[in-house]
Order: sequence, then structure tokens, then C-alpha cells
Amino acid sequence: MLSTPDRGARIGVDVGGTFTDVVLALPDGRLYVNKTSTTPTDPGEGVLAGIAAILEQTGIEASAIVEVVHGTTVASNTILQKAGARTGLLTTQGFRDVLEIGRIRTPGMFDMTWRKPEPLVPRRWRLEARERIGADGSIVLALDEDSVHAAAQTFLAEGIEAVAICFINSYCNAGHERRAAEILAQVAPQILLTASCDVLPEIKEYERTSTAVVNAYLLPKMRVYLSRLADRLAALGIHAPVQVMASNGGMIGLDTARMRPVFAVGSGPAGGVAGSARLGQVTGDSDLIVFDMGGTTAKAAIIQDGQPSLVTEYEFRDGISSPSRFTKGGGYMLKVPAVDIAEVGSGGGSIARIDAGGLLVVGPESAGGDPGPACYARGNTVPTVTDANMVLGLLNPTALAGGSLKVDAALSLEAVRKHVAAPLGLSLEDAAHGIRQVANANMARALRAVTVERGLDPRDMTLMVFGGGGPLHAVDVARLLGIRRVLVSPVAGVFSAAGMLSADCVQDFVRPVMVPLERADPAAVATTLASLATEGREVLAREGYGDGQAVLRFSVDLRFMGQSSQLTVPFAPPFDAVALGEAFGALYAETFGYRPEEAMELVNLRLAAVGTGDRLQFETLRLDARALAGAEGTREVSFARGGPKLPTRLMARDAVTAEPIAGPAIIESYDTTIVVPPGCTAVAAQAGCIAITIGPENGDA
Amino acid sequence: MLDRKPSAEADPITFAVVKNALDAIVDEVAYTVIRTARSEIVKDVMDYSAAICDARGEMVAQAKTIAQHLGAIPEAMAAVQARWAGRLVPGDAVIMNDPYLGGMHLPDIFMFYPVFAGDEILAWVVVICHHTDVGGRVPGSNAADSTEIYQEGLRIPPLKFFAAGVADEALEALIGLNVRVPDRVLGDLRAQYAACKVGAREIHRLAGRYGDDGLRDYFDALLDYAERMARAEIATWPKGTFRFTDHIDSDGLSDAPVPLSVAITVEGDHLTVDWSGSSPQVRAAINSTLSFTKSNAFLSVRCALRGEIPNNAGIFRAITVTAPEASVLNPRSPAAVAARALTGYRVMDTMFGALAQIVPDLIPAAGEGGNTVVALGGRHPDNSPFIMVDMISGCWGGRPDQDGIEAITNPSQNLSNTPVEVLERQHPVRVEQYALVPDSGGAGRFRGGLGLARSYRLLADEAVLQLRSDRLIFAPYGLDGGEPGGRSANWLGEGDAQRSLPGKVTMTLRAGEILLHHQAGGGGHGDAWSRDPAAVAHDIWNGKVSAAAAREHYGVVADPLTGRLDMAATDTLRMTPKRTEEP
Repeated sequence: MLSTPDRGARIGVDVGGTFTDVVLALPDGRLYVNKTSTTPTDPGEGVLAGIAAILEQTGIEASAIVEVVHGTTVASNTILQKAGARTGLLTTQGFRDVLEIGRIRTPGMFDMTWRKPEPLVPRRWRLEARERIGADGSIVLALDEDSVHAAAQTFLAEGIEAVAICFINSYCNAGHERRAAEILAQVAPQILLTASCDVLPEIKEYERTSTAVVNAYLLPKMRVYLSRLADRLAALGIHAPVQVMASNGGMIGLDTARMRPVFAVGSGPAGGVAGSARLGQVTGDSDLIVFDMGGTTAKAAIIQDGQPSLVTEYEFRDGISSPSRFTKGGGYMLKVPAVDIAEVGSGGGSIARIDAGGLLVVGPESAGGDPGPACYARGNTVPTVTDANMVLGLLNPTALAGGSLKVDAALSLEAVRKHVAAPLGLSLEDAAHGIRQVANANMARALRAVTVERGLDPRDMTLMVFGGGGPLHAVDVARLLGIRRVLVSPVAGVFSAAGMLSADCVQDFVRPVMVPLERADPAAVATTLASLATEGREVLAREGYGDGQAVLRFSVDLRFMGQSSQLTVPFAPPFDAVALGEAFGALYAETFGYRPEEAMELVNLRLAAVGTGDRLQFETLRLDARALAGAEGTREVSFARGGPKLPTRLMARDAVTAEPIAGPAIIESYDTTIVVPPGCTAVAAQAGCIAITIGPENGDA
Repeated sequence: MLDRKPSAEADPITFAVVKNALDAIVDEVAYTVIRTARSEIVKDVMDYSAAICDARGEMVAQAKTIAQHLGAIPEAMAAVQARWAGRLVPGDAVIMNDPYLGGMHLPDIFMFYPVFAGDEILAWVVVICHHTDVGGRVPGSNAADSTEIYQEGLRIPPLKFFAAGVADEALEALIGLNVRVPDRVLGDLRAQYAACKVGAREIHRLAGRYGDDGLRDYFDALLDYAERMARAEIATWPKGTFRFTDHIDSDGLSDAPVPLSVAITVEGDHLTVDWSGSSPQVRAAINSTLSFTKSNAFLSVRCALRGEIPNNAGIFRAITVTAPEASVLNPRSPAAVAARALTGYRVMDTMFGALAQIVPDLIPAAGEGGNTVVALGGRHPDNSPFIMVDMISGCWGGRPDQDGIEAITNPSQNLSNTPVEVLERQHPVRVEQYALVPDSGGAGRFRGGLGLARSYRLLADEAVLQLRSDRLIFAPYGLDGGEPGGRSANWLGEGDAQRSLPGKVTMTLRAGEILLHHQAGGGGHGDAWSRDPAAVAHDIWNGKVSAAAAREHYGVVADPLTGRLDMAATDTLRMTPKRTEEP
């Protein structure tokens, strides 16, 4: 038994729709995991329960905890449930409706019953100030301060709790916006404020307005939640700083999360992607497709050159984001850096049904975790993807989650028989394979969206898989794309929480420039870079990262004049316009397949200020026995439609060694089940991963 | 190859998987166009489409792009096959844009790429792009005031742009010489070719999995399935003939209204859409070729089908569309057609008016009636030219069970808008208003969406304004007793000097002058006096309906500042006989 340390323990918490996953890491590489039920009405309760449970389970003192990293759905749920602040918006005269007008597009076609998302601020609370900044930053109409005072009085009279301010062209001159914020702060000190220039000041008024509004809308809820969380942790004896996972795959400190909660909207899925990047560094895979399959959705992302692929804006929406790039318009636009994720409505809980035309459809409706799949015996009687896996013998027929979740395989059989096999006139197993195939094809679509649609060939890449259901489907999904190598992450079922512990603190800053690249004044750019650097260092210092722990990653947004396909090019100062132009041209050719010979425009200068420190090192990972244990023996499993059931070896995760294991085999552990089909081999890889090499299919359609 | 027995549906699982795979492939084709195209109209405005057709040319999958384009494929495909059947080899790509051979207007160049299995065609990949310029008398080849197709640019019959994978030098040179921006046009044509090849590669992979004949079977099954579902739904519709007439204000060269009249006949599980009685072809370029008329008719019917029907040509089989020769909906060459989009919008409005009698619980009242196009051309202070083309979208009318939508694309398209800050950065204009127009939504039990206002102040010395708007005279109709939406309007100048402009204008603007456009609002659905008073009160509270309009149109009395209802006064008002309708 190893000694229990009195310092240096770090906790990662990922609040999901069904489970709250807690991971505790010790400096020597030991990693402990716990799953507890999510408490939707007050997610902090579940977080506390999970942390208390893991402390008890490990015998580690609360005082040994030095950091808590938190992936929270509070921000996203506040938007989905429309539970945010009574929010007002102050705009330039003539533009109060920019927020509601948006970008006009609809996510679907031919659907005359569609409902456009309600703006988070109704028209009544969208007020106008008399002012105007020109496109070149000049003052066209000076700010009429009386109009701001009048707006403040209206906001007060209407009981407004938070106000966003976004003026036209404030990205190139924020003077009026700042002055209006000063006046509001003075006249109405009880109102929380977000000026668009204080989030990320980029061109495009709708995107900037929407981002500022979402931020203001979240302010009160996030403040209360995070403050209470800190208090509750303190009551438990944990006085360590709390970090929040941000949509960009980095962490932000509590203060930043309180001021700019919009950065935490995409908190949930980012942890696993950040962790995958770290894992890839250890296993030597700097280019990865990340595949995360949970209960309701499956998500795909990309790691390139060791870094997650990011987008500079994304749309947060109710329901499930489509992987298609043609379906914008259904959500709330957030112009903040985010891990580029494609999501489809296929998870373990996705429901299979026959539609009006007799077609088998799987998802996006989900039975979630409660009532969950039919085999959970909690009242759901329609088949889910999990039930199909149960029918085929891929899952343990009596209990999941290391024996902690009892299941009844007979209920799965009945659900698949009644709702799919009988109506389609198929055998039970053919129907179950059908459900899997449809779900797999759908998930492959998310993977295509992040690879093929960006000019990447998935066949050259390794698939990094995690999430409760990921390792059950990974090989079949990989085969659909011609991928030959799968890496199953350690603690796959709680990997998002573990991944958070490997993330750095990342703070994003941007300065619009908007000049032709060839005319960019190096001295002016250097001044801007210096001011970005100062700001970045200051913010990191406030988060506790000294200069020795600060890494400044600069980049520029460039585009061809008159185009909108801007790309972000990383660089290290000093600014060299020729080299940047060359790098942009090469990246453009790689992304778009050709290279125009046209003038370029320098759009933005960006800084990601990174605070490094003690992070979870996957090299030295040692897994808790509980995370490794599993059943042994054999089970009859159907791998291929029409093929015979094969007696299949069951193994615990710690039985997988450097000695290749030939499929068929099933590796069960506390948090997931790994399927190694016939023709594939599995071997223990670095950092607690299991590597599966995919051989040819055996006649599987 | 046509004597195979369609047996695919024996395997419903593979059927579902192949359907999803085709949807994914066609989106990938579409995305490749965006990735490799050169022009903003493709990259930003997304004015292009992609589809996969079976060997006969029936569309089996379509990308989520411009709906209006896709119904035109069958006619164009027929022209391609008439010319090239039996003379195509792998690596060929046939292009065409002739409106009188199944095209739509000259800027839309179709590319047809046959995918071979051995010596036989297995499938077609089709990519349609709106090109920046195809020559003719005005930049952009899209003027509304041309009177002959010969003014509109280069007409391309079905010709091989690539033969066995090699670009046709003669055709390339000819196109290059006849368009204003050859780099963009030839670049976008290459993007179309690249996208076709991606589609072909993926279709081959799918065929590798299911076999060539297997895939053919699944194509058949998919078309049959969509046809079956469409027919099953149509069979539940009331039998009979349903008529509707709507109007375009004028063609801009004369003041005469342009009526579009439809008669939809439901017989069994089939529809006949007859446009007899519509306007003869007009002088200006708003004539819609039959293929484009069909396309808009198809997509209107598609909107009226509620089932989860795959978007393929199987649906078209249940619909027959006819329009009289030499009419505005089936013009005779050389009528000009470049600005036919406006007519396409009105085809949809007219279709919806008739369909609303058939499926009254689904079809909305009329929306804005098509986007307004504002084009400004002139010179920057450094004498370099600028061309601003801005489109103002609109709203949907009230629906049978909910209000319309404000600020949304016309359902026949899926276009975006240009941010004000981007517009001002690129062009010497200042937008001083982009806003909803209160009280412009047609009153009804379910209110029509509000129209949009947008203004442009010219900052350059002078510029030529080309304005294409409609619905200044014929307002978007209401349904089921709902009132029409507010009309469009154009104004020049401000204050006392402000004056109205007609719908279609070509004129010179001077520095500092300001143009203001109000887009039409959507029609209302149902009797406005039966609208929930609380909903009217909320609209007052929210600044979308004025208290005066609430009293006049809805019979609702409420405080103009707070929207607080005066129920007693409302009850009294609603008890008095409703003001008489205009005849």
C-alpha cells in the first residue's frame, strides 16, 4: 500500500446529464475514479457528494487537495432552461433589433413549423443610445450621455438585473461603449454589466452582441453557483482554488469564470479533448480524431500537431448540434474560441424506432440515464442502442458499472423484438445489428464532419475513443472510415474529468487590426503585441501563474481581401508580414485546395496566454484497482450480422498487457466495456491506453 | 440494367444505412464546393447546390443548400442525355446553363458528372453554382431590365468541360474570354469538378460495400419509398381543384401587374399543377423558365408534406406541372430571365395560397415575398470600383397554430445576411438602421412576422443604385380571415425632403443621400379579433404592435406603455360588430 500524501492531490469533476464523474489524481500518478448521480436542480450537491465519496474511498484528507477543476453545465443549462438574468441590451440608435434579426438562416429545409429561438433579451428591454462610430473608428456622432441616463432609468424601472452593451463598430473604437458602461455603473450600481469590448472585440455586430448578451445573461447564476461551490468546498475542508473548464479546452480561474461566464458555456466536452491532446503526446500520436460517445450524443473533434482544433465562433443550441456545416441558425451565436466539435444524436440511450415510411431510425430522442435503456428496468420499454448491445452479448447481461448498476437483459430482448424485429420481420439479432449499424453510420458522420470536410484523410489518423459507449462502437465506426488504429483512453467512462486535470489555464485575448497585410506597420503591431502580452501576463498573475509558468501563444487572423474565409496562423514575435503571408497562403491551400494570388488582410491579433503547472501526467498514470477490475470467463457474442455467435473471452482491463490479444475479446471495467471484434488485436499501450489494430472485416456488412 | 428486380427493401437495415450514407456523401460534395470555390457568392452567400442522381438522372439525395435549384435538375439532365447518351466515359463532366434547355438563368452553371461502374453509368453527381459573372451587358449578368437573353451573357449548351479527366481547352478559353472575372468563374468551375470527383469516390466506396447492382437497387428503393410516402400523404388530401392567384407588382418596365394563377388538382394520390391564366411573358428579365417554375412548385408541395420523407425525386413523380407556352412561367426564347428569382418567390406564394385550401393546418399566410436586392456601384476615392450587392430578407406569415417568424430567409432558399460592420468596411456606405418594423405584421389570430427596415447612406461622391423590390402594391396575403401584411416601401432622403421611390429603380445617388427600404410584413392567419388578448398585450409590451393598432386591428384595449390589458374595454369593443371589411 502506498502512503497517502498530505499535499498535491487534484480533483477533476465533470457534471454530465446522468452522472457526475469525479477523478482524484495524486502526484505519483495514482488516479481514482467515482461516478455519482447528477442532481439537476442543484448540480453543486452532486459535485459535493462525489468529492466526499472519493475522499472517503481513498482516505485522502481534504487538506491535501490543491486544486479542483470543474466542468460545469450550469452555464449551458441556464441558457437551455431560459433561467438566466432579466437582461437588458443597450445598442446604437437604429440597431436594437440586431440581436433578434441574427443571421437569417434556418437549420432545416421545408419545415414550416420551425420555431426560431427566442432572443434572450425581449425587444422591450433592448434600448438605444444616440451615438455612432464609423467603420474606421472615427466618431460620426458623439455619445449623447442623456440617452444613456434615460436607458439606465428604464432598466431600473423594469427591474433589469444585467445589461449587455454593444455599439456598432465598437470593435475598432470602444470609447463610447466604455463611457456608457461607466454611466450605467454609476447610475445603476446594482445592475451587472457586460460591454462587448470586454468579452472579445471582433467585427460582426450580431455575433458580438449575441456573445455579450449571453455573458450578461449568465452573470448572476454563475456568480451564485461558483460562490456557493467555493463555500461548500470550504465546509468540506477544501480551500484549494477552483478552476473552470472553458470551451477552448483550457481552464479559467474562478474570477474569470465569474466575469466572463460565456467562456464556460462549452465547458462539458472540452475536458476530454484537452486530455486526448495530452495522451497523444505520450503515445506519440500528435494527430488524432477524438470520439466521445455518451448516453445521448456522440461527439468528434480533432487534435492536430498536439493541439485541439479550435473555431473562433460556434452556435450553442437546444438539442443536438448537427455535424453538417449547412445547418446554422438554430441556436445562440457565441464568438469565443471553442474546441471544434461535431455532435450527433447517437448515444447509448438513443431510441430506435420505425418511422411512418417503415424506415429504421435511431435517435436523436434518448432515454438518457433515467429511465434509461429498457434493461435498466426503470419504466422505459422501447429499445435503445444499449439494449441492442445487450441483445448481441456485447454487454454484461446482469450488471454494468463494475457491478453497481443491475440490469435485466431479458427486457432488452423484449424491447428490440417488439419494436424493431417484429415490425421489420427480422430476427432478434439482425434487428439489434441493424440498430447498431444505423447508430454507427450516424456517428461516422460526426467523424467525417471534422476530417473529410476539412480536407483531412481519416485513414491516416488514429481514433482516440472514450465515453461510456465509445469503446463498444469504436472499431465498427473506425471501419466505416477506413481507420486502422484505435486507442482506448484510460478510465474511458470518466475520461472527460481526467482530461480536465491535464488541461492548462488558457486565457484568450484579441485585438482587431483590419489593415492590408502589406501595409501593416511593424511598429504599431509590436506595440499592440506588447499590450496584449502585458494584459495576458497580468491576468495569469491574478490566477497565480508567475512569469516562469506563463507561455504566450500569439496568432493572427488573415484572409484574402474581400473574402470571409479567415484562418488563424500561429506565430512567434517579432511580427514578420512576409513570413505570415507565406504561412497563411500555405494553410489556405491546405484547407481550401488552391491558393489565390490576391492581397491579404490582417484581421486580428490574438493571444492565448497559457498558465502551466502541475498537471496530470499520463506517463506515470497508475490506475486504481477498482477502475481495472472486471469479469472473467466467456460469453456468446454476435459480432456480425448473419454470422454465428462466437464464444468470446472476457477479461479485466489489467489483464491486457504488451502481449497482443486476438479478438474476439471483451474487456470489462468499472466505467466502460471495450469490444475487440474478430480480426482485431488489442495491446496495452502507453499511458494506460489500450491500442486496437483493426484487421479486415469478416463479411460484416 | 433496368430489368433488375428491386429487392432492396428485403433488407431494411442496409436501406437505412445507405440512405444515411448518401445524405453524408452529398453534404460532403457540397462542403467541397465551399472549400475550393473562389467567389464570395458561393463561399459566403452559399448560392449553390449539390445532388446525387441515379443512372436515369432521378435525384436520390440532395444537400441542405438552395432548395430552388434542385427541382430543375430533371429537365437539364434530359438535355444532357439527349445530347450525350452513349458518348460519355469516366472522367467526363458536362456543363450547361441554357435556361431554354432546362437551366434557370445564365449565372447558374450546372455540372453533371457521370459515375461509372464498368461501362455503365451507376450514378450522377450534380453541382450547380451561381457564378459571379457570365458576361452580358451588366456586371454580374443579373440585371432585371434586360429584354433579351442575348443581353444576359454567355449561353452554354450541354458541353463536356472535362473529357476523360482533361479540361477542354477550347471551352475554357471561350468562357474565359466572355466573362468579366475569368479567374473566379473558371476557379469555381474547377471547384464544381473537384466536388463531383469527391462524390464519385464516395459512391464507388459505397458500391464496393453493397455491390453496383445492390446500390442501384437501393437507389430505386429510395425513390420508390419517397414516392410511396408522398403519394400516401397526398391520398389523404381532399379531392378537387384548388385555385389561387397572386401578383408581382410589375416587371419594372411597365406598370402592369403580373398575375400568377394556379390550379392544383388532387386526384387520388397525384397532383396536377396547372398555371393556365398566368401572365404572358414580360419584357423585363423576370420570366421564369419552366424548369424553374417546376422547381418552385415541387418545393412548395414538399413544404406541405409533413412526413419524414427523404428529399429525393421520388416526390416529383407524384406531381405534374404545366404552364402555357410563352407565359411568364414558361417563356419562349429569347425572353430575358436573369431576375427570375422574384417570380420563383411568387410561384411559391401562389402555390401556398392553393395548398392552404388543401392542408389548412400546415400552410402559413404569405411571407415577405422574396428578398429585396440593393445594388450600389461606383468608385472609391482612389478611383477603384466598388459593387455592393446587399439582400434584405424578410419574414414568414402567421401559421395555423402559431405566429409567423420575423427576420428569416425565404423558405425557398437558405441565404444569410451581410453584417453591417462588414458592409461598411468594404463599401462607402453607412447603414443607419437595421430593425424590425412595428405594426407591419398582418393582424390575425396568429400574427404575421414583422418586416425589416434597412437604410444606406452613400459616403462616396456618387453611385448607381439598382433596386429590386416588390410587394409595394400587392401586399402579402392573410389566410383564414387574417389580414394582409404591411407593404414594402422605398424612400430617398430624410425629413421634409424625403420622397417615395417605386419598387424597381435604376438611378444615381449622390454623396450623403440616404435610401431607406421597408420590407413587407407577413400576412396574418385567422380572425384577428379572436387573438388571445394576452398575446396582443405582450406584443404591445414588447414594442411589436402599437396600442392604436391593437385597438383597430385586434379589438384589444391596453395601456400603450405597459401593455396592461383593459379586459372590460376589450370585451366591450369585441362585442361591437367588427368594422366592415373592405370589399
